[in-house]
Amino acid sequence: MTRLNDEHLKKVERALREAHQSRQEPSFGDDWTFRLMQDVRRESAGQGRSMMALGLDRLVWRTAAVAAVLALVFTGSVLFYTNRDTVELTALLSNEIDVVLPLSE
Amino acid sequence: MPGHVAAECLDFIGVQTLVSDDFEIIRRVLHGEVDSFAELIARYRQHVAKITNQHVPADRVAEVAHDVFVRAYTSLSSFSGRTPFEHWLSAIAIRTCYDFWRARRREELPVSALTTEHQAWMDHVLAAESDDQFREQARRQEAAELLQWALGHLSAENRLVLTLVHLDGYSVREAAGLLGWSVVNVKVRAHRARQMLRTLLLERKRLEDDTTQR
Repeated sequence: MTRLNDEHLKKVERALREAHQSRQEPSFGDDWTFRLMQDVRRESAGQGRSMMALGLDRLVWRTAAVAAVLALVFTGSVLFYTNRDTVELTALLSNEIDVVLPLSE
Repeated sequence: MPGHVAAECLDFIGVQTLVSDDFEIIRRVLHGEVDSFAELIARYRQHVAKITNQHVPADRVAEVAHDVFVRAYTSLSSFSGRTPFEHWLSAIAIRTCYDFWRARRREELPVSALTTEHQAWMDHVLAAESDDQFREQARRQEAAELLQWALGHLSAENRLVLTLVHLDGYSVREAAGLLGWSVVNVKVRAHRARQMLRTLLLERKRLEDDTTQR
């Protein structure tokens, strides 16, 4: 029976280090590589699908953005031309009134 | 040119060829030749097996090594090529082992999990006078089991740092690079984890002595 001092602890630590380093190395067989490659291919297919989904998402958002811009331009032009027509109509009507008034007098 | 210098030159050229081959394989994989990844697996499976074997239980090594390569494949596009592929893969292996322990609930095995053989092992180690006797004790199953018992009391972080720095013999800077942590963090944790291991061993021995005295 030995009480542990610092030297003893170091010796036990060294033995544990050697125990750790002497662990037997495993070796993987061909079936391990085969299963791994199956998973890698599955990941690859998943990545391809997610890339396609990402591409579709982008297309939808870009189309939406273009549609929004076109809608804004269309609305702006409608408002612009409608306003101009209203001004012309008002001017026309006011001319008619101007013309009509002296006749009534 | 002396023989050993020529051999070193050839080794260097061999390593350079291997590294440039790695880049070529990675380029092919990234361009859609998925099957080329099998070449990287063949080259580095023993390297990954060695790392995972030192950090996870023997019966989980194959599974964790599998995860390492799947992770490497999914993040292959982030490989910058500034460091050799082997270093990059080692860091992934270490982080996968870390995640393994984080996901697993800490199993604090009670002292009663250790048998009288484990208890006697420490005395045998301390009594060993020659190197051969000492090595024989270190190779015993009890040594590995006692180490696992002690590591089971540590958090995933402390466990990994202690294993890397004190058991595997990596420098603090190397361990920091592998873990993606700061050097100071690794230094502090390594010191703390070692103190914990020592406390565990001391308590273990004290208990054993008390039992023997009774």
